[in-house]
Amino acid sequence: MPENEQIPAPLIVEALKEAFRGQRTAPAAAGEPLGWVLSVPDTHQRSVIRELEQDDELRLLTCSTEDEANAIAAGLYVGGAEVALMIQHAGLYASVNTLRGVGLDGGVPIFALVGLLSREPELEPRESPRSMVRFAEPLLDTFEVPHALLETRDDLGLIPEYYALSRERSGPAVVLVGRETA
Amino acid sequence: MRPEDVLRAINEARGEALVVPTMTAVPAWRTIAPDAPSVACVGFMGGASSLGLGLALAQPDRRVIVLDGDGSLLMQLGSLATVAGAAPANYTHVLFANGVYQTSGSQEIPGGAGVDFAGMAEAAGYAFTTRIDTLEELRIRLPELLSTEGPVLVELAVEEAELTPMTAPGGDPLRVQVAKLRERLASGG
Repeated sequence: MPENEQIPAPLIVEALKEAFRGQRTAPAAAGEPLGWVLSVPDTHQRSVIRELEQDDELRLLTCSTEDEANAIAAGLYVGGAEVALMIQHAGLYASVNTLRGVGLDGGVPIFALVGLLSREPELEPRESPRSMVRFAEPLLDTFEVPHALLETRDDLGLIPEYYALSRERSGPAVVLVGRETA
Repeated sequence: MRPEDVLRAINEARGEALVVPTMTAVPAWRTIAPDAPSVACVGFMGGASSLGLGLALAQPDRRVIVLDGDGSLLMQLGSLATVAGAAPANYTHVLFANGVYQTSGSQEIPGGAGVDFAGMAEAAGYAFTTRIDTLEELRIRLPELLSTEGPVLVELAVEEAELTPMTAPGGDPLRVQVAKLRERLASGG
């Protein structure tokens, strides 16, 4: 596929479902969602949010802040539910204390898709002139949070892989969404 | 009202409810209800209401009681709208309103005693809100507050607590609390 092709939203939703199914010990009961997606709306991933609004298996909950999203995810995890966050890089910066408290100290497997809004496709994120893009990976490195960059459909396997990784390490794992979704 | 008396009353009425204490409620709750299915919010400021929301959504057949503080809630005030929007019927938000940030030295919260948290929760869309000023009234109304279709917020006019997480540290680290409660719920406990 062309290098600059955007990933269609339905493929990302399917990858999330695959991630959730991979961790569930039993199928979802009647009326129970396969998993939850906690969103503070991200311009970069807005097509995915639209797709989730129509989905019958996943439950989308819009949160007021990324701090809330992290703490709600912790409660869902303790209660036995599958959950992922969809936020943008600015929200990652805004919620680092909760990510630290919940994900690192609390051992909660926070998995997040983090949109790199305004990232230049021809540059590695660390080379971006935009601080919002440039500091995302170094911040995650500082917090020892494993991360990967989602750019093409060939990378979609990163979503179930890093979701499973968050569960294995009992801590955060992040997939950075490097290009706007379609 | 003394917060410790409030916590004893809640412990007597809680049944099988899951409990999320934060800040000054934490040390006393640890002593009063050591075996209650609880997970505390300490260190991620103002997160109790959201932690409790996640629990309530994952465990819709169990009542969830959040033991929040006024200063804590102000740090994540938007959670009132998020809780109202999610509309968990099994959610009771108990707000200990003492008007100060007691843990850090009892500095007055923004707005002081004039902030109407029950009014804000009602405006946000909580199904039921109320304010209670006496222990006697609280004891009478607790069964209703823990069974009424939520989300419910009850604002309590309380004195400062005897202990804070700073004067009485201890208890299981959050990581251990998370693992214990998750395991307990998975096994139906």
